[in-house]
Amino acid sequence: MNDMTSDTLAPALRLRALRKHFGRPAVDGLDLTVRRGELYALLGPNGAGKTTTLRMVTGLLAPDDGQVEVLGVDLARDPAAAKRRMAYLPDDPMLYGKLKPTEYLEFVAGLWGLRPEDAEPRGRRLLDWLDLSRHAHELTEGFSRGMKQKLALAGALIHEPELLILDEPLTGLDAAAARQVKDLLVSHVAGGGTVILTTHILEVAEKLAQRIGIIRQGRLIAEGTLDELRERTAGGSLEDMFLQLTEGA
Amino acid sequence: MNAAPGSTRWLLGHELRLAWYGSALSGGKRRPGTVSIIVWVLAWAVMHGCAFALLYALRKSPMDDALMGMLAGGVLLACATFMLSNALRACVLALFERGDLDLLLSSPLPSRSIFSVRLLGVAASTAALFLFLFTPFAHVALVMGRPGWLAIYPALASLAIIIASIAMLLTLVLVRLLGARRTRVLAQVLAAVAGALLFLLSQAFNLVKHGDGAAIAQSVMRHGLFAPASPLWLPGRAALGEVLPLAGLVLLALAAYLLTVGRTHRFFVRGLQQAASIGHVAKRPPGALRFRFRRSLFDTIVIKEWRLIARDPHLISQVLLQLVYLVPLLVLILRGGDAPGPAIGAGLTLLCSSLTGGLAWIVISAEDAPDLLQSSPAAGRTLRLAKLAAATMPPLLLVALPLLWLIARAPLAGLMVAFTVTGAVLGGGLVVLWVGRPAPRSNFKTRGKENFLSTVLELLTTLSWGGLAWALVSLTAASADWVPPVAAGALALAMAVLALAWLLRRR
Repeated sequence: MNDMTSDTLAPALRLRALRKHFGRPAVDGLDLTVRRGELYALLGPNGAGKTTTLRMVTGLLAPDDGQVEVLGVDLARDPAAAKRRMAYLPDDPMLYGKLKPTEYLEFVAGLWGLRPEDAEPRGRRLLDWLDLSRHAHELTEGFSRGMKQKLALAGALIHEPELLILDEPLTGLDAAAARQVKDLLVSHVAGGGTVILTTHILEVAEKLAQRIGIIRQGRLIAEGTLDELRERTAGGSLEDMFLQLTEGA
Repeated sequence: MNAAPGSTRWLLGHELRLAWYGSALSGGKRRPGTVSIIVWVLAWAVMHGCAFALLYALRKSPMDDALMGMLAGGVLLACATFMLSNALRACVLALFERGDLDLLLSSPLPSRSIFSVRLLGVAASTAALFLFLFTPFAHVALVMGRPGWLAIYPALASLAIIIASIAMLLTLVLVRLLGARRTRVLAQVLAAVAGALLFLLSQAFNLVKHGDGAAIAQSVMRHGLFAPASPLWLPGRAALGEVLPLAGLVLLALAAYLLTVGRTHRFFVRGLQQAASIGHVAKRPPGALRFRFRRSLFDTIVIKEWRLIARDPHLISQVLLQLVYLVPLLVLILRGGDAPGPAIGAGLTLLCSSLTGGLAWIVISAEDAPDLLQSSPAAGRTLRLAKLAAATMPPLLLVALPLLWLIARAPLAGLMVAFTVTGAVLGGGLVVLWVGRPAPRSNFKTRGKENFLSTVLELLTTLSWGGLAWALVSLTAASADWVPPVAAGALALAMAVLALAWLLRRR
């Protein structure tokens, strides 16, 4: 009972003193908390440690030190339980060129141990929603970048994760595909899910994110809502604030 | 003297430089290593030695000129198959994958020069290997008083231009029909099939050279397309210095060259390459979406792995190429006496082990989306077991019938072979599972160089199980003092290799 309460009260993600070293510190004692039901944008210049952080959160990279807690579950202690409740969509979609979209979703559903009767309606709905149904019988190797990204997103959503982690989800997408992905993220959050994304397109963070974290050299240098960040700096657009914080620090 | 920038000669230099970077000699580096150059020079010297030995033997027991022309023609025809597959790959690369044609065509260079140089580049890269192999014969023959053989140079160059022209025209047609990527796959499959075809022909020759087959073969060689006067052998006669065939070959090459340059120019100027690169959109079959979600993760993984292999014609051709070598073995199994010979047992075991090694590399090491598997909650043990099963089941299923046939004919020997085949398949799969290293699928052909440890352990496990099969089948046929210790040694080696692979496994 106690565990249950702590689980439902726990934030979607809590990082404590997270460290990773690749010759030099990539992530350097990062403390970060993302609340449930929010869209959190993690920003930073190239090489700031965003992707390394996300890879540690999703269990793809073991931290040198520190703790990752996903929805109250310690990732190091029970990785399967933590992974079951989240999904990761990297910059380069994790697809198989020789599989068709339906087969890809069958495979991902198998990895997450979904029951066929649950997976089938979700797969259908996602393919329809993302306009991929008419390409369902084609191999994904012939897909455009946008279609690949949308299919990977469908794979990430098929098990209805509570925490969705996306690394540069809009890179290389055309306006229509980008709009679809953004709508999907907003509706995921509206449905009670949590989204953490990294992006270089600051307007996306400005419009979508409830809170923004800015990291530089593996450390969180600023965090808050857009207004809170504006108060800390001389104001202006997120781009102005971002440049001020990352170049001035 | 350096050619003026923008001239055709300058462009040819650029083209040859690109071909050089892509050649085996440079190994993809800008400049070849000293060791590479020394090895190739030594190999060329050895080729001269071989040429001398052959021509010396020929001088001692001279051969009829017509037969000589047929022999040279046969060799050149066999080479032409390899040339065609090389040239097809080179054409797809030069026209559609290198991505520099837009730059060249937007420059002030005349577009006809661009395509004529590009075709020459393809011909040069196609001819290079064969000039390396056959020009030593021209040099040695010159020293031994046969200056006519210097015609090997123009004959090979003309043949390369003809083949490059055919390949270029074929590429334009295939790319329009299939798209650039599939055309490249087709070229790779053609290369694999060409190699296999030569092996099968050599085995067929071995099988028919004795008995009734010999008479049939001789009759075929005396009449029709294969008769000594057939135009089929003209390239061979040209290479040996006959003036008319040589002149014909050179003229044919020139005509093919001019025609192809014109055609290629028209293809690009009309923008047909854009239509080709757009590709074909598959029509959606009637009916609603069909999913086949499975309850078992194990089944899901195995089916996914088999689908990925089955849909990659290039990989299939590379893997199944090994099966070509099974054909003569099967003939021996079906034609043999009551008991299988030790060679058959060892051959089946070696083949299965090698096939498993290839499949295991594809399924385990060349996983396309390792991050997807790692970020999923699926148990790593289940994933590994399913992948091992996906790699080991096809070889076992493939030899199931020949094994049952063997067991029915000679139960003890057949069971011994079944044991060694199973051991070899599992051993090969486990070695890759434990010490294999992640790599992209496109590295299949070079996988041996990239992971030396895995290659050595795979080889040792293959040889030890093959040796064990030989010894055990020998033991069933006749008792000999040497057999039990050899069998025990081979089994011990197989187990030791597995233990070593487990100790060195990636964690």
